[in-house]
Amino acid sequence: MSQMRTGLLLFSPLLLVLVGAFVIPLILLAPTSFQEYQPGAGIAAGSFTLENYIRIVADDYYREVVVRTLGLGVAVTLACLLLGYPVAYLIVRGNPRWRLALTLLVIFPLMLNLVVRSFGWIVLLTNRGVVNNLLIDLGVIETPLKLMFNLTGVMIGLTHIYLPFMVLMLVAALQNVPRDVESAAATLGSSRLHVFRAVTLPLTAPGIIAGSILVFVLTISALVTPRMLGGPTYQVMATLIYDEYMQLLDWPSGSALSFSLALVTILIIWMSSRMTKRWAGLA
Amino acid sequence: MSNLSLDHVVKRYGDLTVVKDVSLGIKEGEFVSLLGPSGCGKTTILRMVAGLIEPSGGAIRIASTDVTRLPPNKRNIGLVFQSYALFPHMTVFENVAFGLRRKGESGTTLDGRVNEALAMVRLPGYGERYPRQLSGGQQQRVAMARAIAPRPSVLLFDEPLSNLDAKLRDEMQIELKRLQRELGITTLFVTHDQGEALSLSDRVCVMNDGIIQQFAAPEDVYRRPATAFVASFIGKPNRLKATVRGGRLTLGEGLDLRTDSALGADGSATDVFIRQEAINLTPTGADDANRIPGTIALRSFSGPQVQYVIRIAGGHELVVEAASSGTASHLEHGQPVTLEVRPQDVLVLGESVRS
Repeated sequence: MSQMRTGLLLFSPLLLVLVGAFVIPLILLAPTSFQEYQPGAGIAAGSFTLENYIRIVADDYYREVVVRTLGLGVAVTLACLLLGYPVAYLIVRGNPRWRLALTLLVIFPLMLNLVVRSFGWIVLLTNRGVVNNLLIDLGVIETPLKLMFNLTGVMIGLTHIYLPFMVLMLVAALQNVPRDVESAAATLGSSRLHVFRAVTLPLTAPGIIAGSILVFVLTISALVTPRMLGGPTYQVMATLIYDEYMQLLDWPSGSALSFSLALVTILIIWMSSRMTKRWAGLA
Repeated sequence: MSNLSLDHVVKRYGDLTVVKDVSLGIKEGEFVSLLGPSGCGKTTILRMVAGLIEPSGGAIRIASTDVTRLPPNKRNIGLVFQSYALFPHMTVFENVAFGLRRKGESGTTLDGRVNEALAMVRLPGYGERYPRQLSGGQQQRVAMARAIAPRPSVLLFDEPLSNLDAKLRDEMQIELKRLQRELGITTLFVTHDQGEALSLSDRVCVMNDGIIQQFAAPEDVYRRPATAFVASFIGKPNRLKATVRGGRLTLGEGLDLRTDSALGADGSATDVFIRQEAINLTPTGADDANRIPGTIALRSFSGPQVQYVIRIAGGHELVVEAASSGTASHLEHGQPVTLEVRPQDVLVLGESVRS
């Protein structure tokens, strides 16, 4: 009993902040999402409608944004995983002298402001940016490639920004794989590739899942980078919510979108935590 | 023809030489222990045989084939780790089947071989469990089954029993010996536990500081240690300073010791080793024994044994072990006693080397 009370006491400052600044405003928004918005007049008093939610699935434009957001989440997660695993492996298993330098290299971008990093990509990816100029000067292409205001630009930016999270999760997972277990597989006749496939990869699965959830959830809720690299026309859910609230002043629709996004996030976290439990149980 | 042989094997890490020119031949079916304190290079040797560490020089041969440059998966060995190193994400069955699958076994042959291996380590019917559902001793048995199932030409053990508690360790020792006898697989066993090494092995290789000190049968290592290190490492020896005077060994004025060991030049200082368990505290004994008068300085009871610290002339102190059921189990502090040591138990190993 007293242990529970101590736990509650330790937890209470964070709990107060979360309840006061996050849960209560969120609950206050819930009724708004079921109200009717009349252009020019604002929220219709006393109205009740499911239209705001139905539209997200039924309307072509909204549906496209939702599918695009989830697709982007999957693509960025996979890209981070494929780019991050070799780096994490090198950090953990490579020459110990390189470990610190490599880790710093991974963490360093986190020390820069998100806006600065996104601007950096604009400088690189824009029509007269560094990449296009270089390719044109080298004679590889004649007209500039469209690298911004589309999936390519947003994906490059987000992958770069969330890669460190994935790498750090994978480093932790790889450090937990006992070397003896890998050696045991080798003495039993496994080639290096087979050791990786049969032992290392399954044993790092919990880290892979955790890193993937993190990157996926961060990606589908990202606002700044998609806005800067996607521009005003290439919308994802977060930018759309922002526009509904701030540009169109359509609070009911914005709220409904917010709740849908939150629901997807919670669903993903719940599903993957179940998966992790199953894997962790075995590991 | 040796089944496993090391030929002038050297391992250097930078300026540090961990294994210094070790040559060792192990016969087909023989059980050999590498015994030594931690850092003596024994585990390095084992890992070089397994192919997990590459030697800096020399050659390793398994069944007359030079395997020095071969990766571990091409050596046909079985290695049992101190940490068990089971695959946590696989069932016991899959753990044991791992090596067999790598050799292309499948179907009923595979099932049969796995079950046979599990029966050998007395864990039949445990196939469906996961390692985390087993006790430490059971996990170590699975690790053994996994190592023997593919019928390796050499079995390697890296301190496999040191994570188990004392009682279980004794059981597993017997189990291990029985298993090795049944299978007749050449075995290299690394340990820092002399009891383990002496009771399990056909021959014991005592190592210190990257060098083989003695490679002989357990009884020889115990009774006829080749170097001062072996004498001080095996058993519980008393180490005394003595001088050779007139062809006799003397601890001080009027305290001569007869010994079967060869003595150095007259007047030379030498170390004498007498094991605690070789000293007789009862008044009767063989007539040719050395008799040393002394007094009890300290008594300590440890269950089956009583340890005494006995002060003798010349300021020497000896530790003596007596059975707690024997007649010498109730000697009091300050009581005068006579120590008896047979000449063959007075070990003289070269001149005094250390201060």
